[in-house]
Amino acid sequence: MAASTRPIILAILSRGEDYGYSIIQKVKDISGGHLKWTDGMLYPVLQRMEMDDLITSKWKLSGESRPRHYYTITEKGRKELASELVSWRNIWQALVRLTKPIPAED
Amino acid sequence: MMFDLGKEIRKWKKSLQKHEVFENGFIADIELYLRDTYNAQRQAGLTEEDAFRQAVAQVGTAESIAAEYNKNRLVMLNRRSPLRPGRFMPALVWNYVKTALRTIRRHKGYSLINISGLAIGLTVCMLIVLWVADEWSFDRFNTNASRIYRVYRNESATKKNSTSTLTPPPMAAALKRDFPEINKATRFGYWQRQLVTYKDKSFNEPGFRHADPDFFNMFSFPLVKGDPETVLSKPYSVILTEKTAAKYFNEEDPIGKTLTVNNSYDVIITGVIHNDSLNSSLEFDLLSPFEILINESIGEDNADNWGFNSFRTYVMLEQSASAENLNQKLTSYLKKYTEEDTDELALQPLTDIHLFSNLGHDLRNRGDIKYVWIFSALAVFVLLIACVNFMNLTTARSANRAKEVALRKVVGAERSQLIRQFFGESILIALFALVIALILLELLLPLFNTLSGKQLTSGWWNNSILLLGFIGLALVTGILSGSYPALFLSAFQPIRILKSTERSSGANPLFRKVLVIFQFTLSVFLIIGTLIISRQLSYMRNIDLGFNREHIIYLSIHGELHDRYGSICERFLQEPDVLHVTASMALPTNIQSSPGTPMWEGRPPDAKMEIKADFVDYDYIETLEIPLVEGRSFSREYSTDPETAFIVNEEAVRRMGLEKPVVGKRFGFWNIDGQIIGVMKDAHFQNLHYKIEPLVFKMFPGWLRRMYVKIRSDDVSATLASLEKTWDEMNLGYPFEYRFLDEDFHNLYNSEARLGKIFKSFAALAVFIACLGLFGLASFIAEQRTKEIGIRKVLGSSTARIVALLNQEFLNCIAAANLIAWPIAYFAMKAWLQKFAYRTNIEIWIFLLSAALGLAVALLTVSLQTLRAARANPVDSLKHE
Repeated sequence: MAASTRPIILAILSRGEDYGYSIIQKVKDISGGHLKWTDGMLYPVLQRMEMDDLITSKWKLSGESRPRHYYTITEKGRKELASELVSWRNIWQALVRLTKPIPAED
Repeated sequence: MMFDLGKEIRKWKKSLQKHEVFENGFIADIELYLRDTYNAQRQAGLTEEDAFRQAVAQVGTAESIAAEYNKNRLVMLNRRSPLRPGRFMPALVWNYVKTALRTIRRHKGYSLINISGLAIGLTVCMLIVLWVADEWSFDRFNTNASRIYRVYRNESATKKNSTSTLTPPPMAAALKRDFPEINKATRFGYWQRQLVTYKDKSFNEPGFRHADPDFFNMFSFPLVKGDPETVLSKPYSVILTEKTAAKYFNEEDPIGKTLTVNNSYDVIITGVIHNDSLNSSLEFDLLSPFEILINESIGEDNADNWGFNSFRTYVMLEQSASAENLNQKLTSYLKKYTEEDTDELALQPLTDIHLFSNLGHDLRNRGDIKYVWIFSALAVFVLLIACVNFMNLTTARSANRAKEVALRKVVGAERSQLIRQFFGESILIALFALVIALILLELLLPLFNTLSGKQLTSGWWNNSILLLGFIGLALVTGILSGSYPALFLSAFQPIRILKSTERSSGANPLFRKVLVIFQFTLSVFLIIGTLIISRQLSYMRNIDLGFNREHIIYLSIHGELHDRYGSICERFLQEPDVLHVTASMALPTNIQSSPGTPMWEGRPPDAKMEIKADFVDYDYIETLEIPLVEGRSFSREYSTDPETAFIVNEEAVRRMGLEKPVVGKRFGFWNIDGQIIGVMKDAHFQNLHYKIEPLVFKMFPGWLRRMYVKIRSDDVSATLASLEKTWDEMNLGYPFEYRFLDEDFHNLYNSEARLGKIFKSFAALAVFIACLGLFGLASFIAEQRTKEIGIRKVLGSSTARIVALLNQEFLNCIAAANLIAWPIAYFAMKAWLQKFAYRTNIEIWIFLLSAALGLAVALLTVSLQTLRAARANPVDSLKHE
């Protein structure tokens, strides 16, 4: 999966717990619909992140008839997100510096 | 055809379920997504069917999602299996306990051996823990303990770096004045026994000590009555311990009451302290201001005498001060006050005094860190032997548990679970043993106290740290003894056990032998240690000391008794059974070196000699029957004897390099110019730890503090009664208190005697536990070989030969144990004997005797079992088949 998927999920969950469908919609919104993969493939990503202890999940009844599987960010996930942010920022700055327009000569 | 969403979803789910990797939870999760997407598409206006198709397309193909999940699964497999059972299954715990209890119950004999062995081992360990904790606690009750130091001298006058804790009276105050980092300072001193009287009660008090007012601000002796700030500030006051107070006053309040000392001066009681339960290197029963000692005993002149090294000095540093810095400043401090004094001062931490001090002229009743180590090692040995029993019996009898292990594995137990189960069992047994050990501890504590000379109490029931410690000890024991059985039993392969009909032969017999050898190596080592220690003890007690200490009683002469010494002598000598009466300053067991070097005829200017010195009266040499090799003893026929006569020993003559005849040569000491009138044969007045050193006797009637009476050996008690009658008739005002001199010589070796006794008991316990294990092992092996024995007997073998056959295996082990133990014991005991300047030899018969003892005990134990097996009627063992 794209390197950006995990930090994006972490960023979404850092605002509060969320369930699969809603997360995927938000990921799609944020990445401008440029995801290369099908939506179902985000579930293995969530599973993997849970295995890595970045998020936890539990089944919850939330006023509807069906229980939903909610995901929550863990402390480790927050740390991971913070360090991802730093490295993304660095990459961003590097890119900006490299792609600065060359001043035109008069 | 109507579109049926439910049916379509079921179909879609089925296509997912084909892939093994999808667990039901994942599918449910994805199904929710599908439904949400479907709803969203429906709201966007699509038909049911289109909405569903769209949703399925968005989710993606089962293959692509499965591939992603598969990646995760590979990662998981590397970490742990998704089907792994929980680490801890509560449901099984009860089963484990039940199995363990059943095993204990079914094999009562073996369980008894295991539990009793471990219980004894644990008890020994607990006793030693209490003992070590007690030794370690000395002086630590003082809240300022880490800031308090004792000042001692490094005597540079002698080459051999001797040290002394004795310091002069003006030092404490001078130190406090000269060094701002010294916050408080006190002297702690003793001069002699004092007769203390209250109304009709009167006791000779050996524990009468003197200190400065800072004392109670430095040390934390809790005052039950009185004010710590002022308690020692009144000049003629005294503080009593609770015990002493009870002795004089019973229930009365002692504060403000007056005690009379030596029938000559009064002291008023200003405080009572509690010190019964405190371990302090400073011991006292009565404590008075130091001024009293100066005024009444040594005289005002000596208050500023820097050469009067007779008292101890303690200082307390400021919180921030460094003892190391101060130590450096102290090295040349004495020169400031006495130019000729080249001794260096140094600080010793208070908490080092009890266990780590080896300074000269130190306090009595000190401990020794070496004994702490030795006893701890012994306790661990005994416990190890008990643990080995457990390992050996459990693994030897493992065949009985093999089926259980196999079955558990077949129904899914993992090895780690079985390991935990067996550890749990050994811990359970260790906890059983702990309960018994705690009871044993209470029963054995009084006995141990007499052995160790302490008053230990355990009180584990209201000391949670101690109890936790004991439980921890039991847990460690359980884990240690369970370690090998757990690993061994859990490694059984179910297929081999369940398929074969023959019984497994138990653990690796070689390992079992190694364990038995280990046990008996320790046992033989302890036996050899016991023999050598007791041999050295009897050597020290029976060695020809070079004089006769038998049938001599001694009395302390202090206060007014001193003035009446002459008349007491006269009266005593009138008794028909009194042979000699004499006196000296120090006890023969406690003659100290005198500072400075004597002067002798032909002495090279830079020659130095440390010499022990004592002041004696006429007849001293005759009373102790010290043989003279040259010259004569002090005699009333020579009027100059009390002034200028010296008697030295052979060692002094050797060191001074004097030629014969020595008698008549000039000799001087303490600014007295005199001559040698006699040379005594070298005699062991000191502990045999030390070599005989140069010794000089000089008469000095003013300094006599002990009176010796040599009596006939015929009827000692009648003679003593008659002496007491004479004493009472003289109305001396002091009770008739005497001791036997030979007892004092015996007491020199108290710590060795104690070590000997403890070694003996530990050796006995170790051998006992090892034999318990051997007994169990032998019975197991005999049981295993029942058929073989039966067949051998049918074929004509005799009982004796069968016993020999069965014993063979054990005898080999014990022989091997001896071979290992001998060199270890030899070097360990040789190192111990090095402490003694005069010692027995380590002889080969000691080793042979220990080997014989070890063999005999083991043989007896094993034969109890093997004989029974060998005598059994072969019909009984062979008829069932």
